[in-house]
Amino acid sequence: MLTWSSLKAYFRNRGAIFFSLLVPLMIMGIFGLINFGNSTPSVNIGVVDQAHNRVSSTIISNLKGIKAVKLHTGSLDSEKHELQQGSRDLVAVLPASIGQGSTAITAYYNQGNPQNSQVAIAIMNQFVDRASFAFAGITPALTLDSKPVQSRNLTYVDFLVPGMIALSIMQTGLFGVVFTFVQWKQRGILRRLMATPMRVRDFFFSQLVTRLTTVALQIAVLLAVGYFLLHFHFAGNVLYLLIVGIIGGGIFLAMGLAISGASKSEETAAPIANLISLPLMFLSGIFFSRSSMPEWLQTVTQYSPLTYVSDALRSISVDGASLWAVRGDMLGIFVWLAIAVVLATRLFKWEVV
Amino acid sequence: MSVVTRPRDSGLSTQSQGFAIVVDGLRKRYGSLVAVDGISFRVKEREIFGLLGPNGAGKTTTVEILEGLRGADEGQALVAGIDVRKDPDKVKSMIGVQLQSSAFFDGLNLLELLDMFGALYHRSVDAMAILKKVDLTEKARSTVSKLSGGQKQRFSIATALVNEPQILFLDEPTTGLDPQARRNLWELAESIRSEGRTIVLTTHYMDEAETLCDRVAIMDHGRILAMEPPDTLIQRLLDKGFHKDRVERSANLEDVFLDMTGHGLRES
Repeated sequence: MLTWSSLKAYFRNRGAIFFSLLVPLMIMGIFGLINFGNSTPSVNIGVVDQAHNRVSSTIISNLKGIKAVKLHTGSLDSEKHELQQGSRDLVAVLPASIGQGSTAITAYYNQGNPQNSQVAIAIMNQFVDRASFAFAGITPALTLDSKPVQSRNLTYVDFLVPGMIALSIMQTGLFGVVFTFVQWKQRGILRRLMATPMRVRDFFFSQLVTRLTTVALQIAVLLAVGYFLLHFHFAGNVLYLLIVGIIGGGIFLAMGLAISGASKSEETAAPIANLISLPLMFLSGIFFSRSSMPEWLQTVTQYSPLTYVSDALRSISVDGASLWAVRGDMLGIFVWLAIAVVLATRLFKWEVV
Repeated sequence: MSVVTRPRDSGLSTQSQGFAIVVDGLRKRYGSLVAVDGISFRVKEREIFGLLGPNGAGKTTTVEILEGLRGADEGQALVAGIDVRKDPDKVKSMIGVQLQSSAFFDGLNLLELLDMFGALYHRSVDAMAILKKVDLTEKARSTVSKLSGGQKQRFSIATALVNEPQILFLDEPTTGLDPQARRNLWELAESIRSEGRTIVLTTHYMDEAETLCDRVAIMDHGRILAMEPPDTLIQRLLDKGFHKDRVERSANLEDVFLDMTGHGLRES
């Protein structure tokens, strides 16, 4: 009964719902749509056709067929201008004499943008070699047959969504608890309840159920939005996701309780909660992979509770991992849960003494 | 169905001898500060017993010990025949407590809150009937934050009545209330007592102690200085030769206020 009252009271608090659901949704939307991840690289190649014959048009249409190339055509002056502007990485001039004997194709490239121009030059070289062999009627001794290895087309969204879910779990756990409990303690709500025969464990239990229900709902909503709106590739088991999410949620709920126990008011509690939440948010592989961090930082952040949760969620969602497969992360999660619970029981006080 | 019931036969142990509360040599220390310094008193059944004194006198600490909210260092306290130091939970189930600064979950309305409190005592309650008793039926579906000061205190008392307690503890119930609300609350206290319950009241309003209490214990620095009915105390003072310089008229400004703003005890 206490649980039911607690659930009702929580969900009527519109502010709490707003922050726990809306903020992660917004972040996901923004990041998902902007797509900070790698987009398919492409180079801009300009072709100046001074021959206007069949050879040159064949060259042009073949170039167009290369996937990594965005082809533009134009006069020498306009293309060189575009090159200077940076809109072209390379400009190739097909001289009027093309197709008759040995011809040199002049390629102008942008020195200021080495990455893209090198790619463009490499493409052109390859193209020119092949074309030369073809024109000469020679079958080259060696050919390169490239086959793509990655069968799945993973995007940044696939990286982001599990991380977002983990993030929202942390936010709910920390801030959801901190703001309500500290207020309650301050305002004597908890004290009034202690004057009744209510047992402490019943109270905690009802709060736990309420918060974890919220976590489960959040996971469901974020997953649905990611799947339907952002083309998140979900290859895993929703149940496993929920289990990991809820246990992980327990960590942050307990931490939130520990913080509210130790704080007299929101003014002290909020900074502590932020002090924990912000570093974790940026260092646990939520927005970008931890592999881009320096070695020492990678080792340290490996043990963060949020890292364990988001890695586990990601493995489950993207690799379709089973609970057993993520047991390493689960171990980390359980250890943190134990630590957090111990802290909470030690630090939580019912009233501002 | 009547909500006014006599409290169950408490089955007070012979030690209590028909007293609702027996306190003997109670002591509580906070570090070097002695909050309660070896006090003893007895509260009769069905009386309104007042603890009067300035802030810091130790009255709140005493009451908190009796309510099972705080531990004592020494002494004995029997509440409704039960040793509160040994079995505070049992005591809690038999008393009602109205705390000075009570607050409740914002997301629930009055009826839901009363149901919730009832559940804590493992009882189903007739919430509307309790609200009727404290005259808050129109606000049944409102939340506590929307109530006026006087209404909040009345609701606070309502939550204390959920388990039909034998003993009700009221901690400074009219602090911050206007004259009409105070009168209102005093009437409520009287009606509760007439149901056969015992009330322990802490206050620093002298007129409240005078009007409501059958007996008053005056406390200061953790000790009880006197414990008599108010009239007895006043008479004793007069007998000592006390004389007020200013002539007391039989009406004061408060009476004027009440007369002009209406006997109907309006409250927002």
